[in-house]
Amino acid sequence: MSRLDRVRTLAAALALAPGLALAGVRPAPGGSVTLALPAEARIADPALAQDAADLVLARATSAPLLERDAGGRLVPGVLAEVPTSEDGGRTWRLRVRDGLVTAAGAPLGAAEVAAAVARLLSRAPASPHAWAALALLGADGVLAGRAAAPEGLRVVSARELVLTLALPLPELPDLLAALPLAVAGAGPFVLPSAPARGAPWVLRANPAAPGGRPFLDALALQVVDARAAARLLARGKVELVLRPERAGDAAGPALPPLRATVAALGPGLGPRAAAVRAALASVDRAALARRFARGAAVPLSTLVPPALLAVAAVPASAPNAPGASAPGRLRILVRGDAADPRAIADRLQVTLFDRGITAAVDAVDRERFAARLAAGDYELALVEVQVLAARPALAAAQIATAVRGPAAGRRALGALAGLDGAPAAAAAERLARELDLVPLVATAPRASAAPALQGIAVGPEGLLDPGALWLLGGEAHAP
Amino acid sequence: MRLATAAVALALALALPAAAAPPALGAAADALAAEIGPPAEGRRALALAVETRAPSLARPLEAALERALAGAGYTVTPVRGAADAEGAAREAGQDWLVRVQGGLVPGRRELALVGEVIPTWPSFFLQRRPGARAIPPRLVSSRAPADAEALVLAREGRPSGAPFAAVRPLGRVEGRVLALAIGDAGGGSAAIAAALPGAVVLLSPAGAPLARFDVDPSARGAVRDPAATIAVGDFGAGRVAVAWAGGAPEVLALRAGALERAGALAAAPLCAGEKGAVFGAYAPGTGVLADALARAPGTVPPRRSARLLYGVAAAPRGGPVSFAALGTDLRLELLGPELQPAELAPSTSSSTAPVLPSVGTGFALADLDGDGVAEIVASAPTAAPPDRVRVLAARPGAAPLLESGPVEGAILAGAGGDLTGDGLDDAVLAAIVRGPGGVATELLLVTSDPREAP
Repeated sequence: MSRLDRVRTLAAALALAPGLALAGVRPAPGGSVTLALPAEARIADPALAQDAADLVLARATSAPLLERDAGGRLVPGVLAEVPTSEDGGRTWRLRVRDGLVTAAGAPLGAAEVAAAVARLLSRAPASPHAWAALALLGADGVLAGRAAAPEGLRVVSARELVLTLALPLPELPDLLAALPLAVAGAGPFVLPSAPARGAPWVLRANPAAPGGRPFLDALALQVVDARAAARLLARGKVELVLRPERAGDAAGPALPPLRATVAALGPGLGPRAAAVRAALASVDRAALARRFARGAAVPLSTLVPPALLAVAAVPASAPNAPGASAPGRLRILVRGDAADPRAIADRLQVTLFDRGITAAVDAVDRERFAARLAAGDYELALVEVQVLAARPALAAAQIATAVRGPAAGRRALGALAGLDGAPAAAAAERLARELDLVPLVATAPRASAAPALQGIAVGPEGLLDPGALWLLGGEAHAP
Repeated sequence: MRLATAAVALALALALPAAAAPPALGAAADALAAEIGPPAEGRRALALAVETRAPSLARPLEAALERALAGAGYTVTPVRGAADAEGAAREAGQDWLVRVQGGLVPGRRELALVGEVIPTWPSFFLQRRPGARAIPPRLVSSRAPADAEALVLAREGRPSGAPFAAVRPLGRVEGRVLALAIGDAGGGSAAIAAALPGAVVLLSPAGAPLARFDVDPSARGAVRDPAATIAVGDFGAGRVAVAWAGGAPEVLALRAGALERAGALAAAPLCAGEKGAVFGAYAPGTGVLADALARAPGTVPPRRSARLLYGVAAAPRGGPVSFAALGTDLRLELLGPELQPAELAPSTSSSTAPVLPSVGTGFALADLDGDGVAEIVASAPTAAPPDRVRVLAARPGAAPLLESGPVEGAILAGAGGDLTGDGLDDAVLAAIVRGPGGVATELLLVTSDPREAP
């Protein structure tokens, strides 16, 4: 199955989900929708957002360089056309649409797009999405502080920029559709001002959005717990719930499981590494997905979520390696606010104990987790990464960068660039062994929607396009 | 004096049938008689057998042919209901049997006659073979544009038990059709005009491509859901007017088989019928219309309400429901010829228009049954598949006249007009389908023409 077929299949599967406008009613503008989330959104900048709620906010307020149509095909966004490379994937000329402005009215041209790309390599604040700019020629120099800007990023006119890559990357058009490269403040919605802590974010329609004004007049993001979500949905107080569990009986489209949890063996393990590796290899990942992860979950056989591979899954557990058992103690580093990694860590404690290893869970806050991961200050870490790209090479690069840093990300790009299906799965499996990573599960939130809410379009990147939401009948009035 | 009176009476008697004959029938009959020619060798006795698909056409056509053949010099004897008309003609000593079949040409508003001219006189040389023809028979035919009288007579009744209308595929257009219109685009007969995001295409009543006009969609302002309105009628410089959401309305003309840009309009053409066109404007930044309708393309009047409209349709032949406006609340407002509330009964008038509460956004007005009041042909009023074709009477609360089985795709545009040539309106709906090759549009014909009955 080709990549295009896979994307189409995914789109077709999503299109069959309830709530999508496929019959005889066109979308109508107007109305407001409240989206219930399990956690508060804090970051609207797509270069910095990585938690689920932040990604929803960033997607709503940022304009992707390329969008996807209902069939999953790339279509113009901020860019006027889907670029093609003339030299096998190293050089790409990007043309920005004419006449674009941000929600604040500032011109949006090639310089602004270049800035959106360059800030992914910025050291302060450091972006968690440097993976999306790693392929640029000179990106490593910027990340290491040797250069101010990558030499592979060149603005040639008010509307044109040229990307020169360090390696051929046929996946670049798909990368351009990824959220981290989106232009902040130019999305379908605009945030008038940040709300008080705990108050819902109320976003207003941006009439100047590159893809056109969104259908809704306003979109509110509200933190709601599971019980309240079901109740509010039933009462019509919220129209869409994105949570690991379904909210009551309300149906919604299935989202692709793209939130990957991988185990990283740390340098502190020393001689116990082989035993831990063997123990992790014996973990029944299907059982992990079924019993310990919240939301819709699938076992993760390689660094690439199966939704992006469309090949038969590699066996989710491996036989025990003979003679790999070695008594010892270790600590499992997890983020304290990451529910799935914590539940998986608890299960791994049991598995490791069966192999003679006593494990303790070390749950720390977000900042401390990031710092210790970057410093290699852990024995075993469970890292959760929301994959934001639709191609295997990009997904592997994102996970590798998140866990092992930019060099690993570049290695992933080099190993998987241009690969799809079974060859990509095999390369991703090799890469995981080389990086000493053990993929465990991939999860997705469940969407529960009010019957009147339409246009719940989820791209292969797994993110909902808030600009496509609309209300069926009765709610719409003149904007 | 008596002689003069008799002459006048005779003149009147001769003139009356000619004056009473429907012009189309008379023209077709005259043309057929001319094809047959004057009696050869003094053989004037002619038996005339007429067969038609529509029973009501047979006698008037027979009368018209009798008159025309008599005028050519024949003595005409009608033969009706004979199983063996040729044998009957021989037995009656006729020189000729003219067996004529007549009816409407499918897809065109034309009456066609086909006749067999069969010699029935006995041949001296063929006495041993009494059934043999003295000379070979020949075929003659004629056609005439069908006028209202001919359409009334030639229309077949709906077969017993047949549904109110038939729905069948008409053709396929690559890409998504945003809007449809039916009318004479300048080629002299009905055509289907379809607006796509990047083109206007003109199709024959059978769905075959006639002409295409390409435009650059990127030159327009961005609209999240692409939309267009299109109308066929008198727009001065041309007969096709189109307006894409985010773009300027323009007029196209069909010249030498090609569509060309012929002018601009100040307002978006929403629809057109025999009662004229309706103009309006898109709500800024959207693919739907503001509730401000006008009968002329000048300045658009202020909004009637904050309501937004999916579209406005025109009944091809007008009538009490000449126009209809569909809101984004899926309520269809029925309007009269001057955009006033439609008067559905002669004695009723109201300041508020009658409303059908739940109508899908792919819709058209078409008087399918010829009762003078347009029906509403529309998609299902739900966003969940499958879609269906519904035919609704223009009466609030009335049960649907037809609800089809599931239709593949989403019906998002429609138009009314006579495409089968039976003189009554048909409707075309555009069902958007997705296939391996991308988005395409299946055009569906909705008609009550009995020739299309399943």
